[in-house]
Parts: sequence; C-alpha cells; structure tokens
Amino acid sequence: MTRHTLQAEVPLRYAPPAPDAAGVPVLLVHGFGSDYELNWERTGWTRALADLPVFGCDLRGHGGSGKPHDPAAYTPGAFVGDLVALLDALDIECADVVGYSLGARLAWELAVQRPQRVRRAVLAGFGPRDAFAGTDLDDLEADGSPFGQVYRTAAALPGGDPEALAACARGQAAHPFSVEPAPAGIPTLLLAGERDELAEGMEDLAQAVGATALRAPGRDHATAVAARRLKNAAADFLAAEAGAPSRL
Amino acid sequence: MATNETTFHLPDLGEGLVEATVLEWLVRPGERVERNGPLVEVETTKSAAEIPSPHAGVVARLHAEEGEAVAVGAPLVTFEVEEEAAGIVGTVPAEEAPKRRRVRLTPPEDE
Repeated sequence: MTRHTLQAEVPLRYAPPAPDAAGVPVLLVHGFGSDYELNWERTGWTRALADLPVFGCDLRGHGGSGKPHDPAAYTPGAFVGDLVALLDALDIECADVVGYSLGARLAWELAVQRPQRVRRAVLAGFGPRDAFAGTDLDDLEADGSPFGQVYRTAAALPGGDPEALAACARGQAAHPFSVEPAPAGIPTLLLAGERDELAEGMEDLAQAVGATALRAPGRDHATAVAARRLKNAAADFLAAEAGAPSRL
Repeated sequence: MATNETTFHLPDLGEGLVEATVLEWLVRPGERVERNGPLVEVETTKSAAEIPSPHAGVVARLHAEEGEAVAVGAPLVTFEVEEEAAGIVGTVPAEEAPKRRRVRLTPPEDE
C-alpha cells in the first residue's frame, strides 16, 4: 500500500487515491486509537470501495503521523485543519467523506466548517451522546465507561502512544459534540452496530438532520467496522451520484 | 476441467495474536468466490478484520461456525479450485494470459 508523508503542522502519513480511479474522491477518516490501515484496509472497506478513488491519512496522534502530547493539539479544529491540508495537498476541491467513531465526528466538523469541500458524508459508529460520558480522563487505565475500553485496546496496539492517545481524548472531551450547527445541504448516511454503545441515539441524530440510518445486527462498536452490510450501504450511497457535479 | 481441493488456514493477523473468532461468513458452501473477494469477517481481542479469498473457486466446506474461535494456522475453509486457474484471477483463457504478459503491458482494449 502506497504511503506518503505530508509535512504539515504535524507530519501526516497518508494514502493517496489510486491514479487510475475515477469519480468523486472519498476521504476515509479513521477512529480513535486506530489508523488508516487498521480501520479501512484490514476491515475490507478499501476493497468494498475499490471502484472509487479512496484516500486518507493517519490522524495526528495515530499510526505513522506525528504524536504531540499536548491536549490542545487535539481540538476538532486542529483535526479539521489537517484534513483540509490533505485535500489541498492532493488538489481535491470536494470529496465524499466517510468516518468511523472519532473519524465520524471529525467528518461532521469538516462538513460544518468547510461545506464546500464535502459532497456526501457517511458517519459510522457515531451518535449524538457525549462519547466521554462517565469517563474518568485522569485514570483511563481503570476507567469503566465504554470509552475506557476503547482507550485501553488502542493503547495496547503496537505503535500506540498512550500519552498521545490520552491527550487526544482530553482534547476531544474539552469540545463536546453538538448537533447544532449541523452540516447544511450535505446528504448524510449514518451507520452503526446494533449493540454499539457509542452510537446510542444515532436514529435521533438521523431524524434531526434528515439523514438515513442503518444498523448491523449483532455488532458492537469494535466489530461493526468490518460489517459487509455497512460497507455495501456506504458504497451504494456514494455511488448513487458518483461522477455527478456537486449540488452545493 | 480437473478440479482439486485446497484448504485455506487462518493466516497470522499480526499483533502477536494466536486466534480469531469468526464474526460472519460472507460465502456459503457451493458458492463461487473470486480471488480477493470477501470471504469472512473475524474479530480478535484487538480489532475486527475482513479476510479476502486467496483463491478463485467454489467453496466446499467451512471449518468453523460463526462465533467460534479459530487458532492461527487451523483450517478455515476448503475450496474446489480448477487446477489450471489456481491462483489466477477469474476467467482469463489459459492461452491468452502468457501471451499478453510477454508481449505488451497495455490493457487489452488497446490491441
């Protein structure tokens, strides 16, 4: 798999779109504690979307990208800045964006802050509830909330930097998700596992923003990411108007 | 065409893991699968993954139920593969493949 490094404010390792793929580029934004390979390649998403020019980066704090230890480096705005820098570096004016978990939250933020850069959005493993509800950010090693489990799994992965991940969690928690403002005029699909605690209330969010919502039976936050049903739904949703000019 | 059976074993998924649990089979016995086509979704203690098919062929037997743990290196699925097509994608006629490979690198539409 091709990888390059973008020398941005924090160096970002990224996978560019295949040169021969046609259509609207699809930016894949991975979840907390994961990276592009784990979240999108090993789960079969890049295979399911192989007809489309998919691309994406390891988010700051993750994978082969820079890993600052200051929570202030992990605001939603900082992440959106990285995604915009990647779009600019690749000369991509407007993309479809698919995010999982934290990546879905960032896809939402990108669509709110830079609506002209996003055509359609797929937000997976994500809901309107505060992902850090009940989480003890000062003792993530012992935290019993759903996020605590996600953190420990991520911190134990090879290459995982527990200090950067804790900083990332604090930076995000300091800026809780809000349904308002919502992205305007961007068709949106919401996807999650039936038993995904972090996607609680997804259907309410779908109703609030006029999006479609779909669940994968039996799956939780960790296993829904590989569900064919969700990948196929995303592929259909993105292919619906592939190649058509943006309606914005 | 002559067929023979070949068994695919659970590959090493990295991360130092010794087993994975089958989440969902994406193929059934009797079904045809292309090389690199989606085969099975598995879960490890660290992540979920989709394993693509290493062969083109017909699924003969699945060796684990959904929800069952499989050790790395244990049988996962047995295929019936066409002998001459083993390891080659899809339906390229046997005589054409080497010729193209030797003569030109451009796509067939250009011929």
